[in-house]
Amino acid sequence: MVTLEELKDNCRQILKEGKVKYIIGYKRKNGQYMTVPAFLDRIEEVDHLVWDPSCIYNLVRYLRDEKMRKEKEKEPDTRPVGVIVKGCDSRAVNILIQENYITRDDVYIIGVSCEKSGIVDEKKLTKKFAGKDIRKLDFAGNGKIQVTCGTKNSVVPAEEILADRCIECTIPTPIVFDVLFGEKTDREVPDPFKTIKELESFDTTRKWEFWKEEMDKCIRCYACRSVCPMCYCDECVADSISLAVKPDTTAEEKAHKIRWVEKSPVISENFNYHLIRAMHLAGRCVDCGECDRVCPVDIPLRYLNRKMEKESLDHFGYTAGMEPEKPTLVSCFREDDPEEFIL
Amino acid sequence: MKMEEKFEPKIVAFLCKWCSSAGSDLAGVSRLKYPPNVVPITVMCSGSVSPNYIFSAFKKGADGVLVSGCHPGDCHYMKGNYYARRRITLVKELLDFIGIEPQRFHMSWVSAAEGAKFTEIISDFVKELEPLGPQNKLRSNL
Ligand code: SF4
Ligand code: SF4
Ligand code: FES
Repeated sequence: MVTLEELKDNCRQILKEGKVKYIIGYKRKNGQYMTVPAFLDRIEEVDHLVWDPSCIYNLVRYLRDEKMRKEKEKEPDTRPVGVIVKGCDSRAVNILIQENYITRDDVYIIGVSCEKSGIVDEKKLTKKFAGKDIRKLDFAGNGKIQVTCGTKNSVVPAEEILADRCIECTIPTPIVFDVLFGEKTDREVPDPFKTIKELESFDTTRKWEFWKEEMDKCIRCYACRSVCPMCYCDECVADSISLAVKPDTTAEEKAHKIRWVEKSPVISENFNYHLIRAMHLAGRCVDCGECDRVCPVDIPLRYLNRKMEKESLDHFGYTAGMEPEKPTLVSCFREDDPEEFIL
Repeated sequence: MKMEEKFEPKIVAFLCKWCSSAGSDLAGVSRLKYPPNVVPITVMCSGSVSPNYIFSAFKKGADGVLVSGCHPGDCHYMKGNYYARRRITLVKELLDFIGIEPQRFHMSWVSAAEGAKFTEIISDFVKELEPLGPQNKLRSNL
């Protein structure tokens, strides 16, 4: 199990030595049991550091802001940034390195293993403990989570309140790290793609009905894109800024601007946005579940990305973020890649 | 009385300049008969076909989309069709997953000498699309 005190000591140590610029971690906000991201640059702040089953955020997302900040500074502090990562998050770091977005020296990776547990789904938690005054969550070891309500502690099997993605996760231990807390754990998951297979078993009409209903709801707030550590492009094909029409844009210029996706949240454009999004995340999504979690209208975005994950594995034996020194999924091929579908 | 109009599916075909487009030309100059339902779009290589092209074609009202390139090993740019094969595999799976009839999207290898193969692919494609009727799922509703 991860010992929080050891984790804190390490953080204090690296801050003291000036090894890192600051540390991105988790803390609790005035008495709430769910954590929030925290940026720790002073040793005293480490006292507030938390690691528990409420650490849902994929903090790797903030490396993008760090990069942008650094690019603007005249004499940037080039020391690495410390970041606390779970298994999935660590693969996101690997992808950023693989794609040359950052270098390994830009980060000091503090890995924490989820072992046989993971991160809670707040909806499942509040349902199970409806009406109770939840105060605190703790890992209780051996696939159990301790929930403190008022003054009473109850220990429940993790899978009762875990996020779906954690239940399906086979890589709970960080793949890349400078220091690791907790045990490297192999996890037996009977069928990691069970939900996807179920959706695949629907007939065409039912599949369409399912997705149409979901896509109808999208309000194109782009929260899914903003939260994703993999969506780091300066300009997105979904709302291209350089194609903005200004008062002096001529008709000819307008005609030459290709807009792949219109901004209006109508069904065809929503589908277009999400199809492109799924393609752009194929071989890159680490199933950190953040997009799914933040969607204000509860669209199961994970399923699209997870489907791509399944196909990458089935057809090409590729899992995102495992080998940063190798080419990415779609920037390479094998001569014997399957092609039964080709006429 | 108005005659029931026969549904004529529209196929958008992205054909690489060096093989498949030449193959379709050969079909033409050899006077091979094939249904006039194709809108051919010549691209430099099957590897240059972005998924955006495909989704866009469906959005603009294609009933079926075909991506066609040189046979493996024959790509003018050596590897373009291998990259395309990976990408298109994913597109195909994705479209199927969201409930687009799999008959609406195909990929093929057609060389410059295979005019006959091209006509056959198109004829079969049209036959597959006819019973499905117009593709309205991804069609723009703006
Ligand atoms: S899917 Fe959800 S989070 Fe993403 S743009 Fe639509 S409403 Fe926003
Ligand atoms: S697509 Fe969603 S689950 Fe995948 S890496 Fe991005 S935020 Fe995480
Ligand atoms: S040139 Fe024909 S597939 Fe590349």
